[in-house]
Amino acid sequence: MSRELRYERLVQASPVRVFDLFTSPAGQREFYGNDAPGWVVDSRCEVRVGGAWEITFGPSPGELYRHLHIFEAIERPRRLLLATTETRPDGSRFTFSTEFTFAPRDGATLMTMVQWGFPSDELRDEHGRGVPHAFDRLERAL
Amino acid sequence: MGALSRTLDATFFALSDPKRRGILDRLGRGPATLTELAGPSGLTLNGIKKHVGILEFAGLVETEKVGRVRECRLGRATTLGEAGEWIEAHRRTWEARLDRFGRFIERAP
Repeated sequence: MSRELRYERLVQASPVRVFDLFTSPAGQREFYGNDAPGWVVDSRCEVRVGGAWEITFGPSPGELYRHLHIFEAIERPRRLLLATTETRPDGSRFTFSTEFTFAPRDGATLMTMVQWGFPSDELRDEHGRGVPHAFDRLERAL
Repeated sequence: MGALSRTLDATFFALSDPKRRGILDRLGRGPATLTELAGPSGLTLNGIKKHVGILEFAGLVETEKVGRVRECRLGRATTLGEAGEWIEAHRRTWEARLDRFGRFIERAP
């Protein structure tokens, strides 16, 4: 089983509303927003399976990150599955997967985000026992 | 969001190969010579040298010439600490995005 990063938020709105706002241009810009002066967000999105959500963001035009998300599954209003490539200002990049789920919970929505595909997955699963101290440190950080 | 350093890139690259992870696993049980590493891995001595070199570059393995052989042992693994810090920074960034989106939902018309 691979290591996941899991995040949850209870949002005071219905799943349909949360899903629709999350896939709207305003919601997508907000998701990557920041109150820092000069913060840049430029988002372009085609919400369809196989479509791309390309978003560029960062503290200034000279220091921009880019996320290229490809929609692998869209199940309104329950689930989104994205394959993401992050490109950093130095040109280096890495990929990971993110699944968003939107579940009704007491009149609100439990929004869950799970990410996987990081190199640390193999690191923990195959070698945690062999390199105990160093991997314990990494495990704590996860 | 901190950019991945070259060291961290090297760490992730070094860990991306199952043979190199196997070498780390073996060295976790104690130092070994290149020949001893090559035996159970099914790799040639040259193949082991290549993989050990990548691990050494990432700081995950240290080697030392002892007599006529080269002994390998786990590095001080500070790069693994850096990898953990990067993952934690990544997590904080996405936590902040969810928080911000939650506030947006509550005030959106």
